[in-house]
Amino acid sequence: MTSYIARRLIQGILVMLAVTFVCFVIFRFTGDPAAIIAGQDATPRQVEEVRQAYGLDRPFYLQYLFWVAHAARGEFGKSFVSKVPALGLILERVPATAELALTAALVALGLGIVLGVLVSLRPRSWPSRLIMAGSLAGISTPTFLMGTLLIMLFAVQLGLLPPFGRGETVTLGGYWQTSFATWSGLNHLILPTLTLVGYQLAVLLRLTRAGMREVLNEDYIRTAWAKGLSANRVIFKHALRNVLIPVVTMSGLMLGELLVFSIVTETIYQWPGMGNLLLTSIYESDQPVIVTYIMLASIIILSVNIFVDMLYAVLNPKISYD
Amino acid sequence: MRQVSLLTLVGLLLAALLAAGPASAASALVLADETPPTTLDPAADNSDSTCSVLANVFDGLMARDGKDGKLIPGLAERFERLDLLTWKFYLRKGVKFHNGNLFTAADVKFTFERLSDPKLSKWLETGQSIASMETPDDYTIIIKTKTPTPWFANNLHQIFIVSKKDVESRDLGDVGVKPVGTGPYRFVEWVKGSHLKFAANEAYWGGAPKVKQVELKIITEPATRFAALVSGAVDLVAGVPLELLEQIRKNPKVELVTRPSRRSIYLALGNKPGTPLADVRVRRAMYLAINEDEIIAKIMGGQAVPAAQIPDSACAGFDPSLKRLPYDPEKAKALLKEAGYPDGFEITLAGPNDRYVNDARIAEAAVQYLNKVGIKAKLDVKPKSIFFPEVSGGEKHQFYLLGWLDGAYDSARGLMTNIVTYNKEKGSGGWNGARFSAPELDALVDKAGVTVDLAERDGILRRANRMAQDQVAVIPLHYGTDLYGIVKDRGIQFTPRPDRWLVYKDIDKK
Repeated sequence: MTSYIARRLIQGILVMLAVTFVCFVIFRFTGDPAAIIAGQDATPRQVEEVRQAYGLDRPFYLQYLFWVAHAARGEFGKSFVSKVPALGLILERVPATAELALTAALVALGLGIVLGVLVSLRPRSWPSRLIMAGSLAGISTPTFLMGTLLIMLFAVQLGLLPPFGRGETVTLGGYWQTSFATWSGLNHLILPTLTLVGYQLAVLLRLTRAGMREVLNEDYIRTAWAKGLSANRVIFKHALRNVLIPVVTMSGLMLGELLVFSIVTETIYQWPGMGNLLLTSIYESDQPVIVTYIMLASIIILSVNIFVDMLYAVLNPKISYD
Repeated sequence: MRQVSLLTLVGLLLAALLAAGPASAASALVLADETPPTTLDPAADNSDSTCSVLANVFDGLMARDGKDGKLIPGLAERFERLDLLTWKFYLRKGVKFHNGNLFTAADVKFTFERLSDPKLSKWLETGQSIASMETPDDYTIIIKTKTPTPWFANNLHQIFIVSKKDVESRDLGDVGVKPVGTGPYRFVEWVKGSHLKFAANEAYWGGAPKVKQVELKIITEPATRFAALVSGAVDLVAGVPLELLEQIRKNPKVELVTRPSRRSIYLALGNKPGTPLADVRVRRAMYLAINEDEIIAKIMGGQAVPAAQIPDSACAGFDPSLKRLPYDPEKAKALLKEAGYPDGFEITLAGPNDRYVNDARIAEAAVQYLNKVGIKAKLDVKPKSIFFPEVSGGEKHQFYLLGWLDGAYDSARGLMTNIVTYNKEKGSGGWNGARFSAPELDALVDKAGVTVDLAERDGILRRANRMAQDQVAVIPLHYGTDLYGIVKDRGIQFTPRPDRWLVYKDIDKK
């Protein structure tokens, strides 16, 4: 098992290097930060000064090598725009995104499994058909549209929920600003979560249903029914456990994506998270922040995937990594 | 059974949450604006959105009146221009920074010195224009510029004074997130990407502000900003989206407040010999081909005013007698034929698509008007982070859309930067990406630079602006309108400023 994890980690580092290198290649085409940093009124000579001060006159592969050398020491550069360390800038946004992503993931997973099981047990009843139709809508509606519609309906027309922001947050340990400690924080969480959950829930629901439909026809399930076991035991202990592997894989991918790429939802709800920061940095050509973010994103997704792989071994004792 | 109680629990929880209602603080003023400040260190950014926030925490030596933008005393009670290069400022006594430090001339000197550092300053031009500074006593400072800079004092409302002792004792990153100034509000908190909070400075030299708590929420998404306004989650929104104007007008709970913007949108032209644009008749034809009234009516929703020149009416050198050339496609075709281009020619109009209101759509319309008179025009719009460096780097585009707002209220600045011949040593033509060059115009602007008498200077600049029109150095299009939304029945008194800054001490809420 340990050698497996070690191999995955090495793979992960190679992926990070490749992805960040691609970033530097792309930066050549995304505009000249020196002109933006120097400002609207700077003379051409001053722009040149800025370019040299920031090392932007070197060829991109040299810039990349310098960046890797500094990164290995834990220095990820300072944001061009706000002059503070890029890593710190991203890390201070982690609590906001983490809370939103985790809430959405839990809701999607929980509801997805429960509804998927319900729908698989009575596929032709009208509630099941309604849920399946709803899941189709969830998959096909783009996040942007979902978010705007939810805001217009619940915040503008009905005035029930707040249209944006995190509301009142409580700071724990001087760093982690949490939404969970106040009613205001919680009710600001509802609409963004619903927006994110729409797609994820639909996918998990359909996956669970498909898996359950297949498993419920197996011989060992018939045996279990014949033995007279209670419905709960048959469904949840015997059937669902075997359906969980694809569901867990999906959730892993989903959690990784929710954590690092909830850009659209964060922008619509003005949620002060990492995705929001990434989008702003792209518009402002803030290269240190962009490349640091992409690197962090690969780390997070890699870690989540390794964790999911290890979870397989727990769910299915037949799986081992050697 | 278990499912039923679970459902009941969820239902009760939801009811409790909904009852909590949308958050709204009782006695604070809550504003929403579209662009966040990039930093709270005054030297590190010169964009309007950052200056708008900093103007509440800091003061400059001078300030701008909220109604008409007139230059009024700030931390300097008065000033004198001793000669072409020398400015003397008499500073206000007894002013304290938010941390208790006393304000003296040393702070002013330190503030200006910081502006020349290329690693931290966005005011390089201002910082490096200073040759020397003397402080004969704690409340006087004499500044000498390297070359005659008539607008030097005009710019001082946006150079915010920091405390030397405070900045030197802290890390640069900290200075950028926790500002300490002399202004009417002290900084409380900045949650990046979300909001800023301020509290009234009771010891402010201009009198304690009426509203004691202010919260500025940043909402970049136009639809969300609209939702924030009509749901009452904020008291005032700056930057109402143009597309939702009708919705706001019809909504009985909110009020629309408008003010003509100071920013002009124009099309820049080059005149390189050997190209079709070298002939003034061709440039004039392009001017006449564009139906600006229709652009204003259809694309800007009527929320714009035609512009005949780049500077706005508050600038020195603005000529009120200049009028836009009227739309005349037939004359345009005739001029083209006369200049030897009966079948037109090819040209590309470049522009940003995420900077000015409807910038890409305006450019698109212009391209269509040009095609109607036979000029084979193409469109090339891109994000500002790519487009602006292409313009300031020069030569790539000879025809592009740009906007200009002169923070220094002086048209010489606009002329020097956008139309005067590009000259790296002199530092002119920084944004003259089309490399337009008219030596007679340069001469006029130079003359204005060495004229001390303000009235005479104004006359020279007016002539320069008129010449810019005769030579068709640019095709001015319009000045936009600044749009604000206010929630009614909250007792909000708000008068929009010409510079679109939000200065909280001038806003009242009962």
